Amino acid sequence: MNDLFWGMSGADWALLGGGLAAILGGIGSAIGITAASSAVAGIVSEDGEKFGKLLPLAAMPGTQGIYGFIAAVLVLIFFNMLSGEIAIPAAIGFKIFLACMPVAFLCLVSAIYQGLTAAAAAGIVARRSEDAGKALILPALVETYAVLALIVTILMLTVLQTALTKM
Amino acid sequence: MSIPLYKTVHDAVFYGFAVGKVRVLETRIFGSGTYERLVDAPTFAEQKRILSDTVYGRYLEGATGADDVEVGLEAALDDFYRFLAEANLPEPVVRFFRVRYDYANLKAVLKARALDVPLDDMLVNLGIVPAEAFSGPVERLPGYLADVAATLLDEDGRMADLDAIDAAVEHAAFGDLVETARASKSKALKELARLMVDVANARAAIRARRKERPGVDLADGLFKGGALRVSAIEKAYALPFPEFVDAIASMPALHGVDAELLADPSGLDVVLDNLISRFLRHARAVQFGPEPVIAYVMAREAEVTAVRTLLIGRLAGLDRDALRSRLRELYV
Repeated sequence: MNDLFWGMSGADWALLGGGLAAILGGIGSAIGITAASSAVAGIVSEDGEKFGKLLPLAAMPGTQGIYGFIAAVLVLIFFNMLSGEIAIPAAIGFKIFLACMPVAFLCLVSAIYQGLTAAAAAGIVARRSEDAGKALILPALVETYAVLALIVTILMLTVLQTALTKM
Repeated sequence: MSIPLYKTVHDAVFYGFAVGKVRVLETRIFGSGTYERLVDAPTFAEQKRILSDTVYGRYLEGATGADDVEVGLEAALDDFYRFLAEANLPEPVVRFFRVRYDYANLKAVLKARALDVPLDDMLVNLGIVPAEAFSGPVERLPGYLADVAATLLDEDGRMADLDAIDAAVEHAAFGDLVETARASKSKALKELARLMVDVANARAAIRARRKERPGVDLADGLFKGGALRVSAIEKAYALPFPEFVDAIASMPALHGVDAELLADPSGLDVVLDNLISRFLRHARAVQFGPEPVIAYVMAREAEVTAVRTLLIGRLAGLDRDALRSRLRELYV
């Protein structure tokens, strides 16, 4: 199975897709958490009692990194790459790469925006601790789209796994 | 990452800690309730007791008279300015707030020299240049101050008159503020500098028109760097006073100002200061960037002014009504 697509084998494309999902999701989460944590740290430096209510806001952009990681692991498991017996045609490999793109890019962007939303929402908690629940809802709305991207990626990978099995 | 998103993320990370701090600290800024309690407090001791639970408590702990209040509040203000530097704000932003005191000190020194009177306690130690430095020869002050002083001395070393000192120092101060705001690259600070210049120019123009000073002298008294066009002011200057005020009020730089209030001598300062308050409300609403920190420090400046007015007013024996009338809405 040594056919190539744009100079890369099926395994290369699949690994590139899974890798990008993990990398971009991770980058987005790192930026998002930093943005939210900066604001949270400032608030906690003045009012330490709010730490518990602010922690979920700072942690929330971390989920995108996890989604990217899940996508990468699914690529490895679905296409039997952990066994070392990699037999993916280049065309399928390229499709696996494409299937990873929704989670890769949406997690990158949504994690950054979620971090910004969480930083802004932290201001609500700074003013009124009682509104911590309301503050959590706003960044959670951004999360929806990362979850949808993960679902799309999983469905696409499932379809490709089925297609590969039938070959 | 697009450039606007990059800037937003950069500002959120770079200023995030400071903005987070400010979000808590601004909840401790006095509201009307605290001011009412300070107005209603029958004695200075009671006012001090009310303030003991606030940020001012430690600064006014041992205060017994007006001088102690001045020293205590000056120390409080100094700490608020220090917060600007601690909050990672660029050096020009810190300079913007402090350099005004250098010019105020310079004005005091030059006027004392012109009148041949001692400086006494006229200097404030809130500027970039330590107050002690102003006790020495003005020629040894940093260039931006020494140059202004040099323009006011004639060949025999005699100091110009008080009006000339006011004009020269204020022109230099506003010029410096505009330049410093530009150097800060902060949109908010540039807007603030513009607003300060516009407010000062509108105030000067209305006062000059009320006193029916000749319009030809107007341009010399106006400061550069604002959005109010000098040519438009000069053109309107020939109109009768009410129409002149209408023309000033309708200029885009002062949009939303009530012309009737603008025409009222007692309301003039309040109306124009409210323009700055409006700017501060917008600045507070910004989520990421230096604006909330700038707005917070300016709100504290206004608070210090109000607290000083109330404490020294009570020490001077002013009654509640007199104190209340001196208060105005400084931070909404």
